Amino acid sequence: MEVKEPDLSGTYTYADYMTWEWDQLAELINGKIFKMSPAPGKIHQGISGNLFGPFWNYLRGKDCKVFAAPFDVRIPGPSKRKTDKDILTVVQPDICVVCDLFKLDDRGCVGPPDLIIEILSKYTSAKDIRLKFDVYEAAGVNEYWVVHPEEQTILVYILGDDGKYKGNLRPLVKTDVISPTIFPDLHISLDEVFSE
Amino acid sequence: MEVKEPDLSGTYTYADYMTWEWDQLAEIIHGKIFKMSPAPSVTHQRIAGNLHGPMWNYFKGKKCQVFLAPFDVRLPSSPKKKADSDIVTVVQPDVCVICDPSKLDDRGCVGAPDWIIEILSKYTSAKDINLKFEVYEDAAVKEYWLVHPEAHTVLVYTLDENGKYKGHLKPFVKTDTISPAIFPDLHINLGEVFSEWES
Repeated sequence: MEVKEPDLSGTYTYADYMTWEWDQLAELINGKIFKMSPAPGKIHQGISGNLFGPFWNYLRGKDCKVFAAPFDVRIPGPSKRKTDKDILTVVQPDICVVCDLFKLDDRGCVGPPDLIIEILSKYTSAKDIRLKFDVYEAAGVNEYWVVHPEEQTILVYILGDDGKYKGNLRPLVKTDVISPTIFPDLHISLDEVFSE
Repeated sequence: MEVKEPDLSGTYTYADYMTWEWDQLAEIIHGKIFKMSPAPSVTHQRIAGNLHGPMWNYFKGKKCQVFLAPFDVRLPSSPKKKADSDIVTVVQPDVCVICDPSKLDDRGCVGAPDWIIEILSKYTSAKDINLKFEVYEDAAVKEYWLVHPEAHTVLVYTLDENGKYKGHLKPFVKTDTISPAIFPDLHINLGEVFSEWES
């Protein structure tokens, strides 16, 4: 049987993405393929778990849900059309929180999550800070956290009234406690997030 | 012979610091001791070198000089308080540039460098982002860079007309080239700064 692998230089939709039979996690951003690192490191996964935990505890019995990667998030383009062949951006954020359960189906989420966390590595930092920042801002993801796992700092971006991200002058550090704007009574201690 | 080691909970001046006979690099910030990591990682040192190289080339023949850690920078609380017993802040920035030769003596620098770069680690990020940020802003260090060596990003802060640091919304990444505000014709290519040796 012929294995259907995409030409990496092509432009694709989510409908194409669903036909690929390769042993590779990938994201589509504006139709272009970005392969995912095959196995994130121990520090990355430890921090991902330490962030997921407090969200999961807090959201038990509530309407919002938290998901860890790999979890496909389809971001409709400016046309807002949600059919598979109209979707050119499918990302797998490290952590995302979705409060509108109508956005969820068996294949993941369609539409912008309320909060996204990306944990940087040297392989993803340019993509996370440039490309995904712009995608999440344009899609209306209310809050975007960018974690530097080895250096133990977090940059927090919150969508302003003008639809543009605003950030703090300085990153948060491990002595700080962070509360998402949508969950002001959830307090996440960064010392615990970064504990090994 | 008795070895003179300080009590870590005490408050000290540069005059005290000069009497310590211990096998330990340390900084003093507002009189408090902060021990330095004994051996920075290979990545940390490679990036420090990759920053120093283009800076050294650029400043050759100019009045500014670039220094790598360990290099003591004494920050007096006021211009008149330069005596050793008056100085309560002595730091060792990873990279610093000093353009006023009268600030240099045999023991290092007295007064604010023009540009400081700190390369973060999990041991120093809170100190570099909170404590040193404020110390450098108060001392009027014109430009302050924070390098995330593992994630390959750089945060750049520039002193504004009110003496406060201003930054950018997003960090710089390895596809960027940065020019410091005070040296606009120096171009630091982050792809080279973060490049790894062929093995």
